[in-house]
Amino acid sequence: MMSTPIIAQAKIYVSIEQAQKILFPKQSLTKSPIIISDELQEKMRLASSIRYPFRGDRIWKTSDGSWLIIDEVIGKHEMITYAVALNSNGSILGIEILEYVESYGYEVAEVDWRKQFVGKTTKDPIKLNQDIQNIGGATLSCKHITDGVKRVTSLYDLSLKTIR
Amino acid sequence: MRRCQALLGTFVEISTDQDDSQAINEAFSAIKQVQDLMSFHHPSSELNIINQKSHLESIALHPWTVDVLKIAQEVHQYSNGLFNCGVGQRLVTAGLLPRHIDLSQHQLGGIEDICFRDSQLITSTKPLCLDLGGIAKGFAVDKAVESLISCGIEAACVNAGGDLRVFGQTPKLIHIRNPSRPTQLIDIGSLQNGAIATSGLYFSRRDQLQSHIINPFAQDQSEVHLHFSDSYSIVAKECVYADALTKVLALSQATDHPCFNYFSAQAIQITA
Repeated sequence: MMSTPIIAQAKIYVSIEQAQKILFPKQSLTKSPIIISDELQEKMRLASSIRYPFRGDRIWKTSDGSWLIIDEVIGKHEMITYAVALNSNGSILGIEILEYVESYGYEVAEVDWRKQFVGKTTKDPIKLNQDIQNIGGATLSCKHITDGVKRVTSLYDLSLKTIR
Repeated sequence: MRRCQALLGTFVEISTDQDDSQAINEAFSAIKQVQDLMSFHHPSSELNIINQKSHLESIALHPWTVDVLKIAQEVHQYSNGLFNCGVGQRLVTAGLLPRHIDLSQHQLGGIEDICFRDSQLITSTKPLCLDLGGIAKGFAVDKAVESLISCGIEAACVNAGGDLRVFGQTPKLIHIRNPSRPTQLIDIGSLQNGAIATSGLYFSRRDQLQSHIINPFAQDQSEVHLHFSDSYSIVAKECVYADALTKVLALSQATDHPCFNYFSAQAIQITA
């Protein structure tokens, strides 16, 4: 059973460039991709309980040793792209959400519909509704972000802090 | 520009046509401050200090915490006790909040047992396990709005995971989630210089969590958690009242409860 899900909401908040300016307004960033070995991937999985692999190609560094890392959390009902800024000792300077994509309905929970969003950008014409701005309703939990941030801080402990 | 941060256990969105990142940063900081003061999850928040010590000694509080407690007491009074933040222990027992101290031996009081000694100092006549989860989010939205206005922002929307407030010259279109299909949206019209908050259990049910709407008058365990499929929204001038009053609407099921009139609020029930 593979029905095409309809996406109720896709919110694009800020671009990577905007997130960089928000989190590091006065510093310039240099792209510093990290090769994520299988061993590192496995350690990060254990530290965060997030199963899908971390991408090491969206990491930037400032001249004073701070870091900016972009990652996603992919839940049953949503996919969230976010940026974490860490200072040189690994403490969190800030977290900014870049994109929030919400799924349609619970019936697609078992279908691996998420695959089609991974790596998509704002230009991709999947069925998005970006016009609706102000959505009220019961509180949405941000619990998955907590797991994601745990994964990013584990990357610092396991790898980034040894890079000078 | 539209930005989003994870705060208050949810996604807080701030949108404005003005490109002023600094003003938005300050508004997020105001929300963060409410979180730090009033979070049940954070063991050293002022809320948890109240819960640990207010029955033993006077506690000096930040003016914002005092404001929230006073509004909570006011809503408690005019709702004849339906809104009561003293239900923290019920939420701990249900696994919805973390357990910091063992209060099972105590006869716990409610928001009505808080006494204001002066503009900063409070005590309590009974041990308390307050949870401000039903009101602090709305208060945080109001603080963010005040912060944006003081930074010169002329129009914006602050939306804390579904509880939102708009201000400015142009009315803003508002959609509410359909309680039987939460990713479908219902256009409920436009709102200008006002707030709307909603209580619904559809996400709790989806995530297989116990209902977080607590009946403060429950006599036995089976009556503690309120179960419903509809959604209950309140429109008010300030988000703190909208947020608190959704609980009164959910518990009373009465869109004409006299306290809505008292707080110049309007109730909207959406049937599933």
